[in-house]
Amino acid sequence: MALNRPTVSGPEFAKIVASASAKVEKLEANNWDFDSVPEIFARKQHADVLAKEAIHLHDGRTMTRLGRLVLGGVGTHFNLMGSIPSDATFKVATEYTDHALKQINQQVGHEGLYDVPEYRQIEKKFGQAEQVEFSNYGLFYRAKDLVQWLLIHDAGCFPSTLETIVRRFAMGNVVQNNMYSTKHPSKDPKKPSLMRSPGLLVQFPSKVVEWMEQPIYGGLVDATIKVEHLLTIKPTNISHPYLPLVLESKVRLVGDDYYLRTYSGLSPKEALRGPGVSQEAPTKKKR
Amino acid sequence: MNDWLELEAEIAPPTPVETSRFDLYVRGEIPSSLAGSLIVATSRRHKNRSLFSRWHDSQADLLKLDLFPGRPGRVSATFLAVDQNWPSSNGHEPSPFYATQPNHGLNCSPDTVWATNLLFGAPLEVDLASWRPRRILRYLEPTSDSPQVTSTSHFAWSLDGRYTYFHQSLLERESEGRQVRAAALTLIELDTITGSERTWRIIPPADDASAEGANFHSAFYYEEGGRQFVGLLRTGVVLETLAPHQVPTEHLVTPMEPSTIWIIEIQRDQDALHAFLLPGVRALGGFALSHLDVDASSRDGFVLFANCKQADVAEETHGKNLYGESPEEVPEHYSGMNIEPFNFGQVIRYSRQGGKTSIDSFSRPYLPGKTSLGHSWLPINVQLDSSKERLFCSFNGFRPRLLPRHVAEAYKDLVADVSQIRYVPPLLMRFNATSLEPDTDPKRRHLSYAEPVAFALVGDSGNDYVCTFAPDVGLRIYDANDLTTMVGYAVAAELMTYRDSHYRPMPAHMAFVPR
Repeated sequence: MALNRPTVSGPEFAKIVASASAKVEKLEANNWDFDSVPEIFARKQHADVLAKEAIHLHDGRTMTRLGRLVLGGVGTHFNLMGSIPSDATFKVATEYTDHALKQINQQVGHEGLYDVPEYRQIEKKFGQAEQVEFSNYGLFYRAKDLVQWLLIHDAGCFPSTLETIVRRFAMGNVVQNNMYSTKHPSKDPKKPSLMRSPGLLVQFPSKVVEWMEQPIYGGLVDATIKVEHLLTIKPTNISHPYLPLVLESKVRLVGDDYYLRTYSGLSPKEALRGPGVSQEAPTKKKR
Repeated sequence: MNDWLELEAEIAPPTPVETSRFDLYVRGEIPSSLAGSLIVATSRRHKNRSLFSRWHDSQADLLKLDLFPGRPGRVSATFLAVDQNWPSSNGHEPSPFYATQPNHGLNCSPDTVWATNLLFGAPLEVDLASWRPRRILRYLEPTSDSPQVTSTSHFAWSLDGRYTYFHQSLLERESEGRQVRAAALTLIELDTITGSERTWRIIPPADDASAEGANFHSAFYYEEGGRQFVGLLRTGVVLETLAPHQVPTEHLVTPMEPSTIWIIEIQRDQDALHAFLLPGVRALGGFALSHLDVDASSRDGFVLFANCKQADVAEETHGKNLYGESPEEVPEHYSGMNIEPFNFGQVIRYSRQGGKTSIDSFSRPYLPGKTSLGHSWLPINVQLDSSKERLFCSFNGFRPRLLPRHVAEAYKDLVADVSQIRYVPPLLMRFNATSLEPDTDPKRRHLSYAEPVAFALVGDSGNDYVCTFAPDVGLRIYDANDLTTMVGYAVAAELMTYRDSHYRPMPAHMAFVPR
């Protein structure tokens, strides 16, 4: 989401927090119907994950995900939210992620996202992605805290997106949240800022391979370009839920051998709407 | 853009009894009342979305999830890949027609599952313990002019659960100026204890005799004045062609007919039974009346809950969409996938008890600012809880970019405003079964958005659990009183794919069989 109010200082901030809290309480008292507090609806949004290169390493007991994102957005400040199991470890691990992706790509002669023509086109069109840093990491345990944070930062949200996130809380997941900003802000959805995230690592116990959920449409692109590597310690025929298998191999990473299956291509986002159709908005009052 | 390595691996078609077994990873708890099996009928297709594959004809895999209660408990999955022409598939000429294709409905007794297609083919009888097919229930012999049969997807059950009833008829090929027609309409009674069967010829009602739309998705049973009756939900689907498209092109779509319900009295001394129309149903103007639950325990009529989809379920996705976008411009498009609705549907409550009849209906658009009200976009499942006081319904929502232009054109004024309509999220909602009003709860415990549509209610004496399932999200278990709190869930990557194919569309139904 684009953040229209990334920072505020002084007593004004306390007022903003109090106002946001009051709105969330009113929303909760009205069964979470956004019409009761219409200002909760997000303003026009154009911020999406454009591309992702990730490693999913499963050793039979633990799922480890490493990855880098290419983000697009209109505005100056943004946040990235994702749901993770409550017993997961999340951290920024740029050096380790870069090393792991480089090791895999070198061993199999792959060039990651640059092997996908659609990604090369994006860089050709918008220029090289700017390396951005994540800041103000946080975790949300409840929907109301998440909504309050979005209100404080004047981002707002959409009812259908919130419903999806509410399901993830119900599963016992938490939502991790990071802020980031661009030095080259854009005001044009046709030419958004292109940003490269730090390397991220998520690790949690699981006896099975678990893939990530489909991202939700953020008003910019209707599909995500993906390169995803599955590493396992035993041979597997597990496949990606959406992407074709493009490569099978064996690789060595940090002293251990793994079976590799690489999937790449485009995967559609959730909650797409027709061209020219506006985003979710308050119910129009009948005259 | 990418090579399909898995396709190149030359996967052999499934053998008649190909199965795969694996465990799911469980978080939370499997409650003790869930000791048993959940059965799901799935459709499997190639991940490459541009390959045209009519979903009605897709590879059908039957999934059995064996649940072992505990904290976390255990869930073990077994897929049974069904051969369309089992048991004599070897040596068959390639044909668009087949004996069975059970990727939709599930009808269960304690030891048997009868799995069915949405429209085509005959039910497949599967032994639950061994998870192997036993026989195909085909009572009509296809001919060159009528090469396919159609059967009721969701059977009717006698009050003691011993007898089950369903319809079957031949489908005659289309010809010049004529659509596909049903012929030799037949009602079947199956004794689930002895396996014996009885068939009757059905004589259509004089005021609803069109053979084009004579297909019946669901059936129900009731008694009245000591007599036995079977109700058939006449879906009203009209097929322009019996075989799938060779080349998918935009074509003229003949609109469905508004749905009706046929009532047939079981008369054992007759060979042919007259059907009559249940009054008031046609006047609702609903299309694709499909799924139901019924409370006929009074033995004096029934309370029927059913839904109209407002979707032309005989069609499939291909060609340009509502907005004039070609499939290549729509990343979520699958060629040949199930059809989206053209507007929101309705759930009806039809009560016929003590000589009195009443009809109520629930229909509602999706209002993003008032999500606690729910919506009725593409209703799928309808199920009463064990108390019969609450009704649970699932709605598939709406993906506007997936509705083909040529299908929408057939329904002109009935189609939602394309300039305004957005994505509508799927929904599971609880209703008051007496009023058919949403069972609204101030803490939103009456509904769950972004929920898979396939669900099963399990419980007794009003203590129920709702289990929902989709391959991508796995099995979720809720206390039926509180749809905001998950009791447990179970996932596995093996649920999502089989080599180069994956499970699409998401399964519509799930059934529970206690152990």
